[in-house]
Amino acid sequence: IDVLTFVSYLGLLGFRYSRAATVASPCGGHHYVTAPSVKPPQPQADDVTEKILNQPLEKPDFFRVAELFSLKDLFDARVHLGHKKGCRHRLMEPYLYGCRLDHDIIDLDQTMEHLQLALNFTAHIAYRGGIILFVSRRRQFGHLVETTAKDCGEYAHTRYWQGGLLTNANIQYGPGVRLPDLIIFLSTLNNVFQQHVGIRDAAKMNIPTVGVVDSNCNPSLVTYPVPGNDDTPAAVELYCRLFKMTINRAKDRRKQMELLHGLSAPTSQTSRYALK
Amino acid sequence: MAGLCRVVSGLQYRVRLSSRFLRSSFSSDSGPAEGPVSGFAAAFDQQEVLRRETQSSAAGPKASSSGPELSFAALLRRSPLIQMGPAKDAVVVGRVFRVVRDDLYIDFGGKFHCVCQRPAGADGLQPGSRVRLRLQDMELTARFLGASTDTTLLEAQAVLLGPKEAGSGGEHHQND
Repeated sequence: IDVLTFVSYLGLLGFRYSRAATVASPCGGHHYVTAPSVKPPQPQADDVTEKILNQPLEKPDFFRVAELFSLKDLFDARVHLGHKKGCRHRLMEPYLYGCRLDHDIIDLDQTMEHLQLALNFTAHIAYRGGIILFVSRRRQFGHLVETTAKDCGEYAHTRYWQGGLLTNANIQYGPGVRLPDLIIFLSTLNNVFQQHVGIRDAAKMNIPTVGVVDSNCNPSLVTYPVPGNDDTPAAVELYCRLFKMTINRAKDRRKQMELLHGLSAPTSQTSRYALK
Repeated sequence: MAGLCRVVSGLQYRVRLSSRFLRSSFSSDSGPAEGPVSGFAAAFDQQEVLRRETQSSAAGPKASSSGPELSFAALLRRSPLIQMGPAKDAVVVGRVFRVVRDDLYIDFGGKFHCVCQRPAGADGLQPGSRVRLRLQDMELTARFLGASTDTTLLEAQAVLLGPKEAGSGGEHHQND
């Protein structure tokens, strides 16, 4: 675990010193529950690594995630269908196109923008070797979410969320546990139509969240809300497919960049993207 | 909210207008707006769709509904769900996607599926078979005493009319 700490510090030094990080964390980018026992090493500016980490930041859509979906795809997957007017959450009103015969219609133009931002952010996190956790408490889609996470080499949590999972991880899972760097909610509600505890806990632990918010959800604590339908299987399959493609694309791009810049194949297999 | 109401009424008005347009030929039909349109938004949207139709008909003899240039407003207006109108007593075609003993889970293209009892003697209804339904409600919700929002059952309600015979295509087909 100490080797992991050390290597990951090296890896994210470029991230820390190059630009203001969207993820504010005191421990050099990774979310460690315990304070580091050793002092952070002196910044050994590895030029090649810095270049690899900084290059995606130069373009707004480096991974071209806007090509992965179109308005027609969203429409055919019934992403624009919301709940009835009586179920509407007050804070979702800016994201709604209107209400037709008591059924809310979500504005797909806004959804397109938000989904692009969310996918772009996910791609950047995956590029830098972050841990992504898929969360959904919908039993209907539990298996789908788990297979999606498995297919892109990330993690999923579709069961009962224990209270101290993020906030008390030190005690529940042992010291020095690495927490996820991004949590993706395929549905922000739990089975009794209350907001999922993970959203509040992630905000407490400074972990950014991407969440699909339906017209009865509260979008305020979600970092990258994506207004859209979370009840229809077609829509959830679309989201899973998009996230999987984005993450795989970002990881392949990272391997490509490493090969391009002449970094040797990872020898020490302890970290996700081992560096020299 | 007032703006939304205006757009909604404009939508309903445009439904009647659009049906007339669709039935007429697809040639450049830039006729004047028939009757009073309520709200600038409704008029603007209508003119935008007309302009697109003229452009596409000038470009080629192909229906523009499959082109990627359609805006969300145009897609929504032409969608079967909107064209259907109120869901009460609308006859739709659905597809069975799951069977649990006597319960059929049927998806008809709306937000939720509906669950119907298998009628006696209809053992031919397997996952994948198409059925005819009469919708009662697209989403079963109710506001109970003391609650601030509606409680939803995450299901639609429909009456099963029977299996869809091949060849009878007169009812609304949801995008399924």
